[in-house]
Amino acid sequence: MQKRKIDPLLLIGLIIIAGSLFLAVFGNSLAPFDPQEPVGDFSMPPSADHWFGTDGSGLDVFSRVLAAPRVDVAIAVTAAIVSAVLGTGIGLYAGYFTGRFSEIVMRISDILQSFPVFILAMVLVTLTGRNVVNLIFVLAFLYTPIFVRLTRSEVLTQRTRTYVEAARATGNSEFQIATRHVLRNSLAPSLVQLSVTVGFGILLTAGLSFVGAGVRPPTPEWGIMIASGAPNIILNEWWTSIFPGIAISVTVFGYAAAGNAIERWARK
Amino acid sequence: MRRYVLRRLAVGVLQALGITIAVFFVIRALPADPVSRIVGMNPTPESIKQARHALGIDMSLFQQLLTFLGFHGDGVFTGSLGKSWVSGATVLSEIAITLPTTIQLIVTSFIVALAIAIPIGMATARRPGGKLDKGVFGYGLFAGAQPEFWWGLIFIFVFYFKMGIAPAPLGMLDPELTAPDAVTNFVLIDSLIAGDFTAFKSALGHLVLPVLTLSFLLVGPLLKMTQQSMSRVLSSEFILYQQASGLEKKSIGRSTLRSALAPIITLTGILFGFMLSGAVLVESVFSLNGLGQYSVAAVLNLDFPAVQGVILVISVISLFVYLGLDLLLAKIDPRILVK
Repeated sequence: MQKRKIDPLLLIGLIIIAGSLFLAVFGNSLAPFDPQEPVGDFSMPPSADHWFGTDGSGLDVFSRVLAAPRVDVAIAVTAAIVSAVLGTGIGLYAGYFTGRFSEIVMRISDILQSFPVFILAMVLVTLTGRNVVNLIFVLAFLYTPIFVRLTRSEVLTQRTRTYVEAARATGNSEFQIATRHVLRNSLAPSLVQLSVTVGFGILLTAGLSFVGAGVRPPTPEWGIMIASGAPNIILNEWWTSIFPGIAISVTVFGYAAAGNAIERWARK
Repeated sequence: MRRYVLRRLAVGVLQALGITIAVFFVIRALPADPVSRIVGMNPTPESIKQARHALGIDMSLFQQLLTFLGFHGDGVFTGSLGKSWVSGATVLSEIAITLPTTIQLIVTSFIVALAIAIPIGMATARRPGGKLDKGVFGYGLFAGAQPEFWWGLIFIFVFYFKMGIAPAPLGMLDPELTAPDAVTNFVLIDSLIAGDFTAFKSALGHLVLPVLTLSFLLVGPLLKMTQQSMSRVLSSEFILYQQASGLEKKSIGRSTLRSALAPIITLTGILFGFMLSGAVLVESVFSLNGLGQYSVAAVLNLDFPAVQGVILVISVISLFVYLGLDLLLAKIDPRILVK
């Protein structure tokens, strides 16, 4: 028997994802200092006490980097799951039972997808109130059309397969065929997209708070941290912005890598 | 052909208008109250009433829509897009100043990104599965995962603070220079018209880091697409036939690129539409007074006419870009028009 080689990309991706989820749960307790309480001197470079230094208001950067996944990763993962469940459901219905409803759904998601995403997100978050729950709703709303489209196009090819015919011949109802058989065979693209969407969500969450349209400071959040360090980077205070940026970049890469690896594996 | 263009334009303008009207209703249905910004803490009922009247939101929704569309003065159909609630100037006049900055930034970034992505993509497509091929895949993955505003900061730190070779990240011109007369509002073009080469050089210098930031990330998807598209065409029969006929490498390369161009152009269009609002983070890092910065201010100040105006303008520009690219595609491959 041939030993199956594990895709290194998948391995890296899964390790990063596991780490980010772990920090989303335990990051706060692991942090050596309170991420929202000044710990003394401000704008101190990295030292033995403060590994990543302290920011302009005297907050410990290392503690904040560890605590931020509770906001960034939690928002992105929840929003991605909500939009995947919603989008897959709607896409399954619209693809299996083609008709007027299907047409309307597709037109709406066309229009939603032709919107300038960043501005739309900014408008919706600001007008509903800048907090974690609203961010989750807005992101989930913005990402649902992607899953509708992916699932629908997969369902459209699956529904003409012989196994559907067979299930129908043995007396399954249309609803049963759609939810038991077609759905199971149409999930692959959405699963790949789920991982990638978490990455998008983290970038969008951080970007929104970077321009002041996301969660409010002093919440430990990577985008806020980068923004708070931005004016001081030309005063050589690089640590406030650099570390949270590395955290975003590594985390998003992990989710994207896992998504890509799963896609490659599914194609084989 | 002309009918096709006209029909697309008509449908597109209606669609853009529809989107804007939808936005009009959505922003009024959400709980934020634009009056709160004006009246401050502890307002009296009178001051609230006054402020509501001043903004025109004491009228019925339908009347407000008519005002926005321009039946009571400045509005969409009079071309001015209404008056900003913050500055009192027409939204069009404010967009006319900020939009060119954004267009200048993203067009330059796309030129740089394509100039890098196409030749490298062509070179790597010849050897699928090779080291370069894997490098392209890895770079695409990497570039898609980066917060662009953070890279902007890193470039500022390295090239401005550490090395001192880039100008300060504060706007389009050195602060001691006077801006050239605004003719087009594109600083690069205006300074050329004025014959002011110092200003031109300064503007070019200020563009380097923002363009580097954007194109650094744009190269990822463009490179991947060029490589995929090129290697697909290279393995097609008509290229094999050209090779068998002993055509020169150069001429084969040219016809491969021509056939491979369509998906690259389409992707460029999609990315361009995305960048019109996506460039906001980079604008913010480099203090460029572009459309993105304008839209952030509009949203945070709850300046509804400005928000509506920005969305309408972005939709219309994307529409023209998509149409222009489709016409370009038809020029490269006339079969598209038959469908």
